Amino acid sequence: MKLTLKSLASLTYDLLFKLLLIGDSGVGKTCVLFRFSDDAFNTTFISTIGIDFKIKTVELQGKKIKLQIWDTAGQERFHTITTSYYRGAMGIMLVYDITNAKSFENISKWLRNIDEHANEDVERMLLGNKCDMEDKRVVPKAKGEQIAREHGIRFFETSAKANINIEKAFLTLAEDILRKTPVKEPNSENVDISSGGGVTGWKSKCCS
Amino acid sequence: MEFGEESSPALAFEKDAFELTVEDVYDISYVIGRDLLKISSTGEEVSDLQFRIVRVLEMFETLVNKYNLSVEELKMERDNLKAELDRIIREGSSSSGQSGQTVGANQLVVDLNDPNRPRFTMQELKEVLQERNQLKAQLMVAQEELQLYKSGILPQSEPAMVDVDLGTPAATEDSSSTINEKTTIGKL
Repeated sequence: MKLTLKSLASLTYDLLFKLLLIGDSGVGKTCVLFRFSDDAFNTTFISTIGIDFKIKTVELQGKKIKLQIWDTAGQERFHTITTSYYRGAMGIMLVYDITNAKSFENISKWLRNIDEHANEDVERMLLGNKCDMEDKRVVPKAKGEQIAREHGIRFFETSAKANINIEKAFLTLAEDILRKTPVKEPNSENVDISSGGGVTGWKSKCCS
Repeated sequence: MEFGEESSPALAFEKDAFELTVEDVYDISYVIGRDLLKISSTGEEVSDLQFRIVRVLEMFETLVNKYNLSVEELKMERDNLKAELDRIIREGSSSSGQSGQTVGANQLVVDLNDPNRPRFTMQELKEVLQERNQLKAQLMVAQEELQLYKSGILPQSEPAMVDVDLGTPAATEDSSSTINEKTTIGKL
């Protein structure tokens, strides 16, 4: 059995989707991702340095879909690094914190960033995180729904801590991307080894 | 003894000329008018003088009025100029900071004795992060591959798949594939 790039990739997944998490610092992007990828929650706050990613393979409509999820630093000082990762994203999750009014006000700023740096056909989604902290809420759910409706994007209130809507949000975003993906045998084309790192390492193995 | 109603209009005569207000001029007119009444009965010549005195007092009123308005205008002008000067000084100090003398609004003072002071450029950080993420991705691929071997999906004997040990170029054929691997990574 001579193994090729395509046949080896097909053993592990059918499609690769690149997702990106953005939003103000401290809204819980890393925690949302950690809950989805490792089903765990960590209360200690460690600010993300620049950019990181996690991989999670899910199954949708009988297809194994590998999600490479890029987690960005919300702090302004990393802006030039993080925006260079917008271009490769097929889906972007914009996260705010329902206990932090400023993070909600900044949504328009983040949406502008998407317009400026991401692909035109990128799937967007709005998440209001920390919805377990009802006593500290300052952003009503209706306001999140309204701004999402205005921009024609999906909206969920989530809690990484209480594990509310996290998996649902990621799966919905992946489904929306899958719906737009042309049906073909996409394995080899989708092992993307461009800019942001991606899933790499297969290439050399078919050369000898 | 004569204080009260009589003494207060007379006080206007004692004031500094530049402090006089229009009201003071009216007080002065009142006092002079009252004195003129005392002597008006003595003769004809007095009425001419009376007329001229009234005329002089009217001119005096106009001058005092004009002077006070000018002082007010000058005070306002002075305050405006002062505010303008403060603004220019502030702007001047922030722009001279950019030329290196003092620290301006957009500059940061770095304490060279602080072990946690910023030292690396954004570009350097970007490269380190890119390398970290590449290695992480490759590790994941290697882990997956290992999993496939362990589960028996991939045959152990396939030689094309066993060039994971990049560091040990045992045979010449292996080392060429290592170089190949490296150049591939370099392009990523």
